Amino acid sequence: MTLARTLRQALTIARRDFTATVFTPIFLLFLFAPLIMGSFGAIGGMGAASVADARADKARIVAIVPPPAMRAFKESDGRLRAVFRRDEEQPPALVTVAPDGRGLDQARSLFAAKDYEASAVLAGPLDAPHVLYGPRGKRAADYLGVLAGDALAAAKLGGSLPRVAVVKLPVARAGGGAGASGYRQSASFAVFGVFLLNLFLASQVVGTMAEERNNKVIEVLAAAVPLESVFLGKLLGMFGVAILFVGFWATIVAKLGSVLPPDVAGALALQTAVGLPTFGLLFFTYFTMAYLLLGSAFLVVGALASSPREIQMLSLPISIVQMAMLGLALGGTAHPEGAMGWAARLFPLSSPFAMAGRAATEAALWPHVAAIAWQLLWVSLFITFGARLFRRGVLQSGSAKPRWFGRKPAAEPLT
Amino acid sequence: MNGNDLAVSAQGLVKRYGERRVVDGVDLAVPRGAIYGVLGPNGAGKTTTLRTLLGIIEPDEGRRAVFGHDAPRDVSDRIGYLPEERGLYPAMKAREAIAFMGALRGLDWKTGRARAEQMMEAAGLGHATEQKIRKLSKGMAQLVQLLGSVVHRPDLLVLDEPFSGLDPVNQEKLEALILAERDRGATILFSTHIMAHAERICDRLAIIAGGRRRFEGTVDDARATLPQQVRYTPAHAGTDLAALLPAGATTDGRAWRFEMPAGGIEPLLVTLIERGHGIAGLSIERPGLHDAFVRIVGESAAGDVTHAEPAGTFA
Repeated sequence: MTLARTLRQALTIARRDFTATVFTPIFLLFLFAPLIMGSFGAIGGMGAASVADARADKARIVAIVPPPAMRAFKESDGRLRAVFRRDEEQPPALVTVAPDGRGLDQARSLFAAKDYEASAVLAGPLDAPHVLYGPRGKRAADYLGVLAGDALAAAKLGGSLPRVAVVKLPVARAGGGAGASGYRQSASFAVFGVFLLNLFLASQVVGTMAEERNNKVIEVLAAAVPLESVFLGKLLGMFGVAILFVGFWATIVAKLGSVLPPDVAGALALQTAVGLPTFGLLFFTYFTMAYLLLGSAFLVVGALASSPREIQMLSLPISIVQMAMLGLALGGTAHPEGAMGWAARLFPLSSPFAMAGRAATEAALWPHVAAIAWQLLWVSLFITFGARLFRRGVLQSGSAKPRWFGRKPAAEPLT
Repeated sequence: MNGNDLAVSAQGLVKRYGERRVVDGVDLAVPRGAIYGVLGPNGAGKTTTLRTLLGIIEPDEGRRAVFGHDAPRDVSDRIGYLPEERGLYPAMKAREAIAFMGALRGLDWKTGRARAEQMMEAAGLGHATEQKIRKLSKGMAQLVQLLGSVVHRPDLLVLDEPFSGLDPVNQEKLEALILAERDRGATILFSTHIMAHAERICDRLAIIAGGRRRFEGTVDDARATLPQQVRYTPAHAGTDLAALLPAGATTDGRAWRFEMPAGGIEPLLVTLIERGHGIAGLSIERPGLHDAFVRIVGESAAGDVTHAEPAGTFA
C-alpha cells in the first residue's frame, strides 16, 4: 500500500469530517464562542470595575498636619503620583486635616467619616508620625510615610524640595532586541498561546470516532481503508476545522492590530531571538504539532471509549493532561538548560509547547528541525498504536501489520 | 481450479473470540465471475468469515486471499462491501453518501456524484438524491448503501445478509442488481439464511454451521444430497398397497409420498400396475435447497455444538 493511497484515503475521510462539522449551525456557535466568552467576560469585568471604581472614588488617605506642612504634603503627593502610570496603581486621593489636639483619637475618628473612606490616616509630628490603616491600607500607610519624609525634608530646606532637571535618554540594547527578559516574555506568550489554542481545539477530537461507532459506519470504513487512514483522516479533518477557527480569529486580531496606535502596537510587539516572521512560522508549526500530538492521543482514547458518557468523563483528565503539559513547558522555558527544560522538549506531548518557547529565546534553527521530526514520529506512533488498539479492542481482530509506506507482493495463489 | 481463477480463496480459516472458535477451519474457493452464496443458520459464523476474508478482522489461523493478495486491503478499491449492520452518516445527502463510499474506494467525487444520480434514478430513487439519509425510509437507506457499495464498479461485491430488512419489491430489485453486477463481470459473494434467493441466483454455495463448512458445490449438488421425492396416487387402493411401497412411505389423503427407490421408479410402477392399483397421479419432486440446507445443518448440529457468533456490532 503506497503512502499516496493512504493519504488519499485519509483525505477523503478528512473532507467528510470537515464538511460535516463546518456546514452546521452549531459550527457558528463554535466559531463565535470566543466572542461570546469575551462578551460575558467584558460584562463581568465592567461590573467588577464599576464596583471597584465606586470604592476607589470614596477612598482617601488622610494627613493630620499643621497648615504650614499641608502645602509640602500636596506638592510631594503631586510629584510622586506621576510615577504611577496606571490608575489602579495610584494611591487614594490625599486629604489634609488640621489637628484638633486629640492626637490619635482624632485619627481614629476619621475612619468613621461619612463623606469618604479612609484607607490610612497619619497623625503626630513629621519626624515620628503614627499612621493608622484599615484593611488593604498598608501600602497607603507606607505612602503617607514617604510623604511625611518629603514634607519634613522640605521644611528643613525652607519650605520646598529642590527641583531636579532630569534628562532622559533612551538606549537600545546591542542587537536591537529587548534582551533576555523580553525573550522570556515572548517565550511565555508562545507557550501559553499554543496551549490556549490547543485547549480549545485539540480536545474536540476526542469524540469524533463516536459518530462512526454509533452509526455503524465504522465497518464500512474498516473494510475500505486501513484504520490508520481512518484515524489520520479524522485528525486532519478536525485540524482543518481548527485552522478555519484560528484563521478567522487571526484575521480579526490582525485587523484590530492595524488600527492600534503605533506606540501601543510597538509595546505589544514580540521580541524574539529568531526574528518575528520565523517565530510566527514556528509558532504555527508548533501549534500544528501540538494539535496533531494531543489530538491523536485524545482520538485514540476517545475511540476506545464505549459510550458517550465515557467520552464526557474523559474531558477532565484531558484538561489535566493539558495543564500538566503547560506547567512542564513553562518550567522548561524558565530553566531551558536544566533537566526540566530537556524533559519538556523531549516528552512528546509537551515538546511543541516547549519548543515554541525556545523559538523566542534561541536563534538556532536546527533544533526545531529535529524537534519537528521527533514530534511527527510520535504522531505516527500514536496513530499506529491507536489503530492497533482499536482493531484489537473494538473490532476484536488479530494483529494486522500496518504498512504505510511499502507494497507487499501478492501472495502465492491459494488453490 | 487454478488459483488465478479464484476471486476469493481461504484455507483453514480460524477466528476465536476468547475460547470460542467462531470460524473453525473454513475453506472457500470463489471463482471469478460467479455468484457465490455463504449459507448458514444464525450464529453460524458467516459474518465473521466475510469480515475475515475482507481483512476487517485478522484470522487467528489459516490463509485467505482476494485476487491473489493475502492483504485484502491492497485490493480494496476492487471490492464493494455491504455489511450486515447497515451504516450511513444520517446528516449526509443520499447522493453524497454514495459518492463518499466510492471515494473511499478510489473513485473521484465528481464521477461518484454523477454515477450516484444515474444509479438512484435507475433504482427508482431519483427523487431522493438531495435528501438526507435520516429522512429516508429504512429500505431506501439500505438501497442507497447498496448503491454506494457498487458505485466504483468493483470486481468483487461482498454482501452480508443483503436481503434482510427489504420488502419483496426491493428484494426483487436487489436480485436484479446482483445479476446485473455478475453480467458486468463482477464476482458476488453474499451470505444469507434465506434459501429462496440463494436457490435462484447462486452459481455455487457453501453451507456453514458451527463455524465449519459443511457443504460446498452448486445448488444442484446441494439438492442431490437428498433423494428425490415421489408423490403417487393409486387408481384403486388395495390393502396390500403399503407393503409394496418403499419403507417410510407416508399417506396424504389418497396420495402417498416416499423417497425415490434406489433402482428407480419404473420397477415399482410395473409392480403396482400388475397388482391392480393403477396410477391416478404420479409426480417426482426434486428436494429444494431449503430441504438440503435443513438436513445438512441438522446433521452438523447433531454432531457438535453451534457456537454463537458475536452480535456483530463494533459499537
